[in-house]
Amino acid sequence: MNQTAQKTESAPLVDETYYAAVTEAIRAEAARLLKEGAVAAVIGYVPGRRPGTALPAVVTTPERAAELIFSPACRNNLSLYLTKAKQDAVPKGKLAIVVKGCDLRALAGLLGESQIKRENLHIIGIACAGVFAANADQGLPLNETTIAKKCRECTVRLPAEVDFTAGALPKLPRLTPVEAEELARLEALTPAERWAFWKEQFSRCIRCLACRQVCPFCFCAQCLCDRNRPQAVENSVRPAGNLSWHIVRAMHLAGRCAGCAECERVCPMDIPLNLLNRKMAEELKERFDYEASLSPREKGPLTSYQEDDDESFIK
Amino acid sequence: MTVGARRCLALGDPPGRPYRRDNNLMPRTITAQNLQALIDALVGAGIRVVGPKRVDTLCLYAPLANGEELELNEQPRRSAKEAFFPPCEEILSFERQGANTSVRDPDLSRLPATVLIGLRPCDAAAPEILDAVFSWDYQDDFFLERRRKTTIVGIACTRADDACFCTAVGLAPDCRDGSDLFLIPLEGGGYAAEALTDKGAALLERHAELFTQAESAPRLPLAEPRAAELDLTKIKAWLDGHFESPFWREIAAHCIGCGACAFLCPACHCFDIVDEGSEAKGCRRKSWDACGFGKFTLHASAHNPRDAQANRYRNRIMHKFKYYHDKFGRTLCTGCGRCIRACPVGIDLAAVLEDINNNG
Repeated sequence: MNQTAQKTESAPLVDETYYAAVTEAIRAEAARLLKEGAVAAVIGYVPGRRPGTALPAVVTTPERAAELIFSPACRNNLSLYLTKAKQDAVPKGKLAIVVKGCDLRALAGLLGESQIKRENLHIIGIACAGVFAANADQGLPLNETTIAKKCRECTVRLPAEVDFTAGALPKLPRLTPVEAEELARLEALTPAERWAFWKEQFSRCIRCLACRQVCPFCFCAQCLCDRNRPQAVENSVRPAGNLSWHIVRAMHLAGRCAGCAECERVCPMDIPLNLLNRKMAEELKERFDYEASLSPREKGPLTSYQEDDDESFIK
Repeated sequence: MTVGARRCLALGDPPGRPYRRDNNLMPRTITAQNLQALIDALVGAGIRVVGPKRVDTLCLYAPLANGEELELNEQPRRSAKEAFFPPCEEILSFERQGANTSVRDPDLSRLPATVLIGLRPCDAAAPEILDAVFSWDYQDDFFLERRRKTTIVGIACTRADDACFCTAVGLAPDCRDGSDLFLIPLEGGGYAAEALTDKGAALLERHAELFTQAESAPRLPLAEPRAAELDLTKIKAWLDGHFESPFWREIAAHCIGCGACAFLCPACHCFDIVDEGSEAKGCRRKSWDACGFGKFTLHASAHNPRDAQANRYRNRIMHKFKYYHDKFGRTLCTGCGRCIRACPVGIDLAAVLEDINNNG
């Protein structure tokens, strides 16, 4: 057994009728859109073989719309499938997409970077109670122990400016932040201790690149880290290459990362990558008063140039 | 379900086993405390002992400093293949001095004698399956030298989760394939110990004082994976005729092309070779590679014969359940379930096989 989460008596955060209602709403909207020919496909979630699991699906017929679900296992940020990196997974034409609030931030980012056009999308927003953590026992209900860290600090449970909202937000208890505390703990360390922490984390990295492949913003046709003539980043699973890869990843996503934390969820080695993303986001906020938001902006602070930019760091 | 059925072997005998088996050795018992003492004794004698160990939130195969570090309650996140086929290793180094370039091979005789302990059947069976590919036309000394120097202590599996499917691919929670010494958990914490090869017998005899003769307690119930029964012959027959099929897109168009499944797999063995360093000094390294990667079959001409992600996933299935079988008469999967647990987009190998089995 891989599940490391303890079986717990912790009470469910929401009752089953909530999921039934959201699921029903998604199915009805998807069936309507497909029947009317308003979209070529609906990108949503369907149940997996194992009880309590779910996986992304591209549904193209009204009949299959009845397979769509929403459950705490619906963790994937589906906006990934709108990027050019995954274009062979979806049909051409207007697409409907099921999004949670955190995913919507990624959509806004992709709109801002001209990767997608709003008029080609029909956004089905979820009134979201939260999803499972990476290693949660999906046989359990969503509770204080099984909920993802990002959901404990969520500020976008009810996505705005969508074309359709599925479900109504249930009353949710306040949860204490976990990730913010972990980041604060790291910040309080000396640089040497922090270095030791990350060195240890990256030593487990096997360069499976799940973090890159699942990221909606890693859509480069030629990733710098795949180059070999000349090699920019050592490809081998070794300390130097692992460190370079994770620094390049964090820097390239600074000011772009939408905080969906999919990279951390899918890491088979449990490397807490979202701590890096979050630290970069804090720096961006502090230095440029910029944060990933729900409204598309063309350029982030690290991709734009102004004549009066501070250049004092150039020595 | 018939636990212990050997359907994969029924499809054709595996290639020659590297070690002589002698099943006449008496079974013995070792207490949990003495198992730790065994590890301590081995470590004390300068032998490298590698086994499941807790590292932060997960469990990994790692060198054990002492017996207490052995963690048998959780399947290690990565398989035991890395004990023979590390994620990265140097296969030669070079250095230019003036007009001459010197090339040096690593000294494989320095690889340490190792006891690899605590492998469930799904991990223990894999290295033996891989012997075929690493000793086929080319003798891969990096893999084979480690195989020669390693003794595998397998353990019967008493806990399965809903991703486990060893029974569906012809293995079983008490399958001895690949183990030199095999432990069977007993009630109360001890283990029955069976030596299966000369290596296993030698290990047992060298530390005979830690074992007792008779089994002191009943055996713990074995794990019962809830996997559906599969007809691997039928699956292979379907694969033989369905290289082109809409099925591949249906199940894998959403595959994101990472290497999590291949890297965690005990049987996936593809690697890439790269020269790293500078022209003046550097080395050639062999690193894990994965057929899910978009660049895996990318040609220098920019042509890619596996141009869509679904075609790359198809290769994963074909290699495990058809090509390896065509070439070596074996299935390249032990049903450990790691790919299922780790897939970022929920692709479930057992479900894919079930689909082919039922509808193919």
